[in-house]
Amino acid sequence: MTAAFVYEFRMQARKRSMWIANGVIVALLGLLTANLLTDALDEPSAKVAMTSGAFLVNLILPVVYGCFLADRLVRDDKLGVAPILDATPASTAGRLSGKYLGSCAAAAVPLAIIYFGFAVLYAATAGHPVALAWAAALFAVVILPAVLFVGAFALVVPLLIPAPLFRVLFVGYWFWGNSIHPTLMPTLSQSLISPIGPYPLQELFGYGGPGGDVVLAGPVDDATLNFLRPAATAATAWLSIGVLLAVAALVLSAAPALRARTTR
Amino acid sequence: MRIEISGLVKTYKGKGRALDGLDLLVPTGMFGLLGANGAGKTTLMRILAGLLRPTGGEVRIGGYDVTGRAGRQAVQRVLGYLPQDLGVYPDLSAREFLDYVGLLKGIDDRATRRRRVGELLEVVALTGDADRRLRGYSGGMRRRVGIAQALLADPRLLIVDEPTAGLDPEERIRFRTLLSQLAGERTVLLSTHIVDDVAQTCRELAVLAKGRLVFRGTVDDLTRRADRRVWSVVTAGPAPTGGTVVSALPVEGGLRYRVVASVPPAPDAEPLAPTLEDGYLALAQPGAAEDAMRP
Repeated sequence: MTAAFVYEFRMQARKRSMWIANGVIVALLGLLTANLLTDALDEPSAKVAMTSGAFLVNLILPVVYGCFLADRLVRDDKLGVAPILDATPASTAGRLSGKYLGSCAAAAVPLAIIYFGFAVLYAATAGHPVALAWAAALFAVVILPAVLFVGAFALVVPLLIPAPLFRVLFVGYWFWGNSIHPTLMPTLSQSLISPIGPYPLQELFGYGGPGGDVVLAGPVDDATLNFLRPAATAATAWLSIGVLLAVAALVLSAAPALRARTTR
Repeated sequence: MRIEISGLVKTYKGKGRALDGLDLLVPTGMFGLLGANGAGKTTLMRILAGLLRPTGGEVRIGGYDVTGRAGRQAVQRVLGYLPQDLGVYPDLSAREFLDYVGLLKGIDDRATRRRRVGELLEVVALTGDADRRLRGYSGGMRRRVGIAQALLADPRLLIVDEPTAGLDPEERIRFRTLLSQLAGERTVLLSTHIVDDVAQTCRELAVLAKGRLVFRGTVDDLTRRADRRVWSVVTAGPAPTGGTVVSALPVEGGLRYRVVASVPPAPDAEPLAPTLEDGYLALAQPGAAEDAMRP
């Protein structure tokens, strides 16, 4: 597992296009939300500022890394490396776990740079070094589960459908499943399995949207799929993180069988 | 490490049988596997390497049943495998790629791995390019990286599928020599359609056709299959019929054809001493394959 982790991380981190795409998105985001950024830097509460930052990062950047991770598993077969790796005594599960964690870790590096860069800027300008501690907590509890959730689907689904099609569907899913208000149409947003993390953002960090008065998680009147939106509490926030990680593990566990379908 | 194959069948969905009840015994040492494209060689190699599960039959390598998980893993610990369609990671250098495969092969000690990678890069003459990304390597250079990775863990069983494809003549000769040197106590299974590679390296070989064994014996045995069947014909007219044309060389007065045929293809045909290639082609002639498998 360690070998696959190290080398998958190295290969993904060397992908120049990943850095360029993240850079472009962040630059565009910076331009479009300059006022929000200024407001965040002026925010007196370090916790609120860091939570706003985490929400923004989790709302937009998964689209980038989800698309970039989409070829990581299928490319071994496409490149013709798979027979060499499969003929080694290393276990399939270990290699898969290493590949998954390595590519997710590499995808998380630009996020960490962007997010902690923001945290350092805030801490320096507002004089609140505690922002770094909040940023670390939010990164671990909100951003990383999203990376692991998205990473699992991005690795495994292209075993079923072509990677370009996955990317198109994934972008559609992302905005449908995370940004659409549940009263407009059936959607997964504001539910336990929304990877932007509405439950932990609201219940563990007290986030209430840019104005502070938005309900991010919990049942919504007149919405469908409310069974996925239990009352928002600290317990359901942790449950949400657990569900995201469990779904990721479940999806990942299907990979060997799906791969065998095409290679055997 | 003996390889014992009995009644091996592999059926691909919608594509029919790639292996059709194959029985074969491969002893320790260098062993050649010949056959036309589609004969089932690569399918057999992939089954032996543990990449494919057979539809039926038995395969034992060094006593391990490779159709089971435990047996497969035991064999993979002593296996070096060079696939026909070899790929590499373009984002890694040759040194990194070999280091990665070395780790997967269980060479956990960093110093040992580094030393082994360095030695093999030297063997395949890539030391000077070892730290360049594989993206910029030519096909032949990639092939050499493939050869190096197959040799990494000092394998007791080496399965090489079309190893010399894409290599220049010097590299080919060097690799053939290396394989012969490696044989000794190891089993080296060389699958190829380049008859000369087998002629220069193997004492024993098998020939597959349409998923079946059509010959198993020594190189001399197969060569003798073409005894009194190889002819030289010089003509300015059309190519001789009634046999297999092995080569056509321009000479004064037309072309000199080398023909494998059971009867002289022309009245003035001169008999020639057969080579392994002639013997292999003689197998393809009507009735020859059945004769070849007769005790």
